[in-house]
Amino acid sequence: MSGTNTAAQANHSLAFRVMRLCRPSLQVDTPFSLIPLISSLAKMIPLSSILFLPILLPLMAISLSALASFSLILPMLLDSLASSAIYLGETFCSYISINNSSGYEVRDVVIKAEIQTERQRILLLDTSKSPVDTIRAGGRYDFIVEHDVKELGAHTLVCSALYNDGDADRKYLPQFFKFIVANPLSVRTKVRMVKDLTFLEACIENHTKSNLFMDQVEFQPAQHWGATVLSADTSLAEKNITSDKEIFKPPILIKAGGGIHNFLYQLKVSSQESTQTRTEGSNILGKLQITWRTNLGEPGRLQTQNILGSPAPRKEIDLQVVKIPPAIFLHKPFEVQLSLTNQTERALGHLRFGFLVIPMGRGRSWLMASRLWLCQRFGLPVPLI
Amino acid sequence: MEPTTTSSSIDTVATTTDTTTIDANISDETISDEAKSLHELAITGSWKTILEKVSTARSLSLLRYPHEHLVYLAFNAVALSKLRRYSEALDDIESSLEDLNSSCYRYESYPHVYPNKCGSMIPFSLRWLHALLPSFLNRRSESVDRLYLLLNFVRSRIDEGFNREVWIRRESFVVSTIISQHSSQKEFVVCFDLINEMLRKDVDNLILLSKLGYVQLQFGDLDGAKSSFQRVEDVAKKNGDEGLSVEVLNLMGRNKALIFMVAKDYVSAIRQYDECIERDESDVVSINNKALCLMYLRDLSDSIKVLENSLERVPTVALNETLVVNLCSMYELAYVNHTDIKKTLSNWIARLAPDDFDPSCTRI
Repeated sequence: MSGTNTAAQANHSLAFRVMRLCRPSLQVDTPFSLIPLISSLAKMIPLSSILFLPILLPLMAISLSALASFSLILPMLLDSLASSAIYLGETFCSYISINNSSGYEVRDVVIKAEIQTERQRILLLDTSKSPVDTIRAGGRYDFIVEHDVKELGAHTLVCSALYNDGDADRKYLPQFFKFIVANPLSVRTKVRMVKDLTFLEACIENHTKSNLFMDQVEFQPAQHWGATVLSADTSLAEKNITSDKEIFKPPILIKAGGGIHNFLYQLKVSSQESTQTRTEGSNILGKLQITWRTNLGEPGRLQTQNILGSPAPRKEIDLQVVKIPPAIFLHKPFEVQLSLTNQTERALGHLRFGFLVIPMGRGRSWLMASRLWLCQRFGLPVPLI
Repeated sequence: MEPTTTSSSIDTVATTTDTTTIDANISDETISDEAKSLHELAITGSWKTILEKVSTARSLSLLRYPHEHLVYLAFNAVALSKLRRYSEALDDIESSLEDLNSSCYRYESYPHVYPNKCGSMIPFSLRWLHALLPSFLNRRSESVDRLYLLLNFVRSRIDEGFNREVWIRRESFVVSTIISQHSSQKEFVVCFDLINEMLRKDVDNLILLSKLGYVQLQFGDLDGAKSSFQRVEDVAKKNGDEGLSVEVLNLMGRNKALIFMVAKDYVSAIRQYDECIERDESDVVSINNKALCLMYLRDLSDSIKVLENSLERVPTVALNETLVVNLCSMYELAYVNHTDIKKTLSNWIARLAPDDFDPSCTRI
């Protein structure tokens, strides 16, 4: 069986067989191998008979050990894998066997295997420099290829063989195996600024059909930034009963088909010059690097694009109150010292000062707060305090 | 998957003749030779014959006592289940037993038949089948509910204190069944929790510790699995390296091999499996997994040879669905015209396999 071209193969001595070599699966015990025999039968058989003893016990013993057995099952052939998804970030590994099913020897076989996508062709194997001398009748030549999947969408594994068949005719056999690469995860980020700390919240959603074990989710900050991951305290103590029992370490597992997990990072600018880079307009915070594992440790790795900080409303003018009297008396003038800094690179003009006093309450201390408005060119008041 | 008809492997169970009920044996007058022969048939896996015998006994009204009906019902249901006739098995149970807790299934209700006996007559296997069968009929959540209820039932028997060891064995058995259910739905975290719960009561159980490792492997926690397997070794070697049984040595060997496999060091994995096979040539798991490692080393021919050899040498243990599925996958890869060779295998299986072997695993 091949992906396509079954009719053309009728003329060929050779044929490709392909099996995707992802990790094998562990056989889950089917309970009926473990049926305990009916123990009430013991009532019906005299104690003197030893017949039932070996039956009952071995079966129960087998049941316990069968739980430990877990045989491995091979993955299915590629052409029956159409429904099994391959995900971006995983490694496509495949066993390719080229079979000579004719009655004649085949000579000088040049074998090529390549992956074709919309954008490129990637050569995985090419024996043109040293062709396989001969494949005997009924014989086989096997190889294993690996390819890190970095593109989405339709992929075709093209296996081709150029050979001399039994009649010394030079023949060319191409075979095509198609598979689709899907996106396993989506990452949503939110950037929040609290005072001068930046918090990055990343939500990872799992679109695959299996649970993803998060091996590593690392934020790689851009230049001038430092990041620390914030995680909730896990109260492991209450899981332990005695101090020498194994600590139960809950794994970070994102459930299949839409499960999510949130990660929180605290980012800080790590150098003084950074305020200038911020005002220059580049607000790249960094990238998230995600490594996950599925069945039997099958790894996958992805990196997000640059995560941008939220465009902070840049203050062009910074106003600081330097000195203000602790108590202000009615009908008596008082002095307030202010410092005004132009944080832009251009001159700002047309400054107008307005002074607004807001009474906070009745009684003596009615002058508790005031607002200073800086009116710029276009007359829009910008509250500064 | 383990076959039913072999000698024991790890015998971690104490020998006891205790039964489901609180009290001990019935007098010999209630023994029926038929029941004894049913038992022997079960050992040899002759499930179809069991069905015939039960059907005859029922139709000729040979069953005199209440508990006999239940025992025959149990054999019938087990046989039907082994033959994958799940809905018939469940129908039989549900139509015969309305309420498992009803007093009509208790010895006290028949004092003239069973003087001085008390307790439930229902064989444990019936309770277990009653809980498990719905999952094979697309009623999985019902099964899970019933299994947890059964677990409660078993635990309350443990608390009562009679026949504790038997009920503790059964607790472990029911928990394993529950774990299988969750595992098949890839609900691995629940499995993890359940195994941990059992480990708290039985902290040095090598099999439970290994099982923890397998669950961790299934969801990809390699470091966790390594530490679980290390625990197995530490516990096993607590009293020194000497005197470890073959079963325990092979368990540790297979665990080591799995870790090698996961790290893609197939050569070392095969070395481990070879040691296991040398110690115990009927270790099918090692044989099966060794064949897979050979495949990942690009050696398809040898992997096929290993599996075919095992079917010839140790057919009673090797003839299980997992091994056959793998061999057929290898045939499909190795031969363009694989139908012929699969047919040969299929015919050979048909001659030798017990009644309950699922022939569809050859994918012909």
